[in-house]
Amino acid sequence: MAEITKPAAALGKKKKRLRQDIVKENIEVWSMMLPVLVLIFIFSYIPLWGVVIAFQNYLPGSPFFDPANWVGLKHIRQFVDSIYFSRLLINTIRLSLLSIAFTFWVPIIFALFLNEVTNLRFKKVVQTCSYLPYFVSSVVVAGMVISFLDVNGIINNLLAAFGATPYEYMTDPAYFPAIYTVTTIWKGFGFESILYFSTLSSIDPSLYEAARIDGANHMRQIWHITLPGLKSVIAIKLIMSVGHILSSNTDMILLLYNSSTYKTADVIGTYVYRLGIQGGKFSYTTAVNLFMSLIAFALTSIANRVSNKLTGSGLW
Amino acid sequence: MDLSKKSAAELRELRKRNRIRDRSRLGTAVIYIVSVLIAFITVYPMYYVLILSLSTPHEALTMRVYWWPKGFFTDGYRRILMDGKLWVAYRNTIMYCSVRAVLNLATSVLAAYPLTVKKLYGRRFVTYFLLIPMYVSGGIIPEFILSTKLHLYNTPWALILPGAYSIWYIILVRSYFHSIPESLRESAKIDGANSYHILWNVFLPTSKPILAVIALYTIIGVWNSWYHASIYITNRAWQPLQLYLRRVLIEQTGQLANAIFDDAEALRMAQEQQISNNQLKYTIIIISSLPMLIAYPFFQQYFVKGVMLGSLKE
Repeated sequence: MAEITKPAAALGKKKKRLRQDIVKENIEVWSMMLPVLVLIFIFSYIPLWGVVIAFQNYLPGSPFFDPANWVGLKHIRQFVDSIYFSRLLINTIRLSLLSIAFTFWVPIIFALFLNEVTNLRFKKVVQTCSYLPYFVSSVVVAGMVISFLDVNGIINNLLAAFGATPYEYMTDPAYFPAIYTVTTIWKGFGFESILYFSTLSSIDPSLYEAARIDGANHMRQIWHITLPGLKSVIAIKLIMSVGHILSSNTDMILLLYNSSTYKTADVIGTYVYRLGIQGGKFSYTTAVNLFMSLIAFALTSIANRVSNKLTGSGLW
Repeated sequence: MDLSKKSAAELRELRKRNRIRDRSRLGTAVIYIVSVLIAFITVYPMYYVLILSLSTPHEALTMRVYWWPKGFFTDGYRRILMDGKLWVAYRNTIMYCSVRAVLNLATSVLAAYPLTVKKLYGRRFVTYFLLIPMYVSGGIIPEFILSTKLHLYNTPWALILPGAYSIWYIILVRSYFHSIPESLRESAKIDGANSYHILWNVFLPTSKPILAVIALYTIIGVWNSWYHASIYITNRAWQPLQLYLRRVLIEQTGQLANAIFDDAEALRMAQEQQISNNQLKYTIIIISSLPMLIAYPFFQQYFVKGVMLGSLKE
C-alpha cells in the first residue's frame, strides 16, 4: 500500500524531475536542429526578403533594401507593357496545357496497359526499361534530341525513306512545342507510372473475382474496378499540375531552345535566366518572376475552387 | 455459390479458367507486342548512341547506322579518356554527389528527430518555419545575389550549402520516424541515453530504408543537374560533369565551318577534325551516363519505395 500513502512531497519531486527531463530533452533537440534551421533561414528566407529588389533599381553591392533606389511598380509596369508579357504567358500556358493533355496521361495508360501482362518476369523487365530515361540526364537527353533531329540525323534519314525532304526541325518555332512534349514524355513516363503501379497493386483482388462471377468481361472490369481505384490519385495529380501551369520545365527548355525558336519556346523561367543571370537585369527579372508567381497563385486558387465545387476535394 | 466453401485448389482452377476466358489470344499477343515496343522505344536511343560511338566517324556523322556499329572505332574513347578536363569534371561531380548526400542525410535526420519529440517547445513555430519555404521562394535572382553577397559565388560552397537541405526530405524522414514505436525511445531514456544517443543508436538503425532513399535521390539529382551549377560556377575547375557535357553537346556550334581557310588541305583537315569531334559527343554521352545506367536497375526498388512513401504524405 506504499503507493497510495506516498507523501505529497515525493510526488511533487517526481513532477519536478519530469519537468527537468522535458527541459533537458528540449535543450538537446533544439541544439540538434538549430544548425539546420539557421541554414534554412539563410538560404530560403533571406532570398524571400530579397524579392524587395523588384521594387527598386537594385545596384550590385548595395543591400537588398535601400530606400534611395525605390521605384515602386515601375518594372512590373514595364514588363506588362512589353510584348514579352503576352508572349511568355501564352508560351508557358501552351506548354503546360500540352503537358496536361498528353504527358499527364501516358504514365496512367502505360500502367493500366502493363497491368494486363500476366508474366511477372516480363512485366518487370519492361518496367525496368521504362525507368531508364529517367536516369539519363536532361543534358544528355537534349543532346540526343538535337543530334537525332539534325539535317543528317536519324529522324531525317528515316523520313527520307518515305520521301520527305530533310528539314531543320530544331530551328523552326512551329515544331518546338511538339519536340518538347515528346521529349518530356519519353524521359518521365516510366518513372511517373510507379505511383500508378503501386496504386493498382493495392486494389483488392477479390473485387475482380466477384466481377468475374457476375459475368463482367475484361474491359468492364477495367472500367468498373481498375479505373475507379485510380480515380483519387489521378484527381490529386491533376489539381497539382493545374497549380504548376505557370511553371514549366525551365531546365529542359533552356537546353532544347535556341534563338530561332524563342517565339514559341521562351517561357518565364528562361526569360528570367537569360535577362537576369546572363544579362544582369536583377530588379526587372525579379519583378517579372514575382508578378508571374502572383498570377500562378491566382490560377491555382481558381483551380482549387473549381475542384472543390466539382469533386468535393481540393488541395486546401 | 458460396466462395468460402470452395477449396483453395478449386478456386485456383476457377481463376485460371476465368483468366483464359477473359481475354482472347489476340488480345494477349497485342499486349505483349506493344510492351516490347515500349521497352524498345525507351532503350533504343541510348543503344543507338552506343553504336554511334563505336562506328567510324563518317558513319556516325551521317547516322546511317541502325543495329550494329559500322566499323569498330575506339579512338574516340581513347581520346576522351585521355582528356584531363573530363576527369576534373567527373571528380567534381563525384565530390558534389557525396558531400551533398552526406549533408542531406545529416540535415534531414537532425531536423526530423526533434519533431517526433512529444513535448517539443515551439513546435508550431518550427512547423510553419518548415512549411513556408515549400510554397514560396525568392526565385533565382535573389538567391544568386545572396550567393555573391556571402562570397560563395564561383566556389563549390555555392552549390553545396543551399543544396545541403531539403524540406521535403525532412518531412519524409519525420513521417518515417513516427512509425517507430515510442516504447523504444522510452526504454532508451530509462537506460540513461540522451537524445543524440537515441537518434544514433535507436532511430537511425531502424531507418535504413528511408536513409537509402534519400541518399539515392540526392545522388541521382546531383549527378544529373546542371542548372544551378551554370548559375553559380563559371570557374571550369569546379564545374560538374553535366556542364562539361552541355558545352560539348548543346553549345557546340559550327565555328569551324564558318572559319576561312587559306588552302584546300587546311580546310580538309579542319573538316576531318570536325567530323571526329562530332563523334566524340556520343562517346562522352556513354562515358558520362554509364555509371548511372549500370547502377539503376539495382537500386530501382528504393525509388519505388520512395515514391510510395511520398504518396502516403499526399
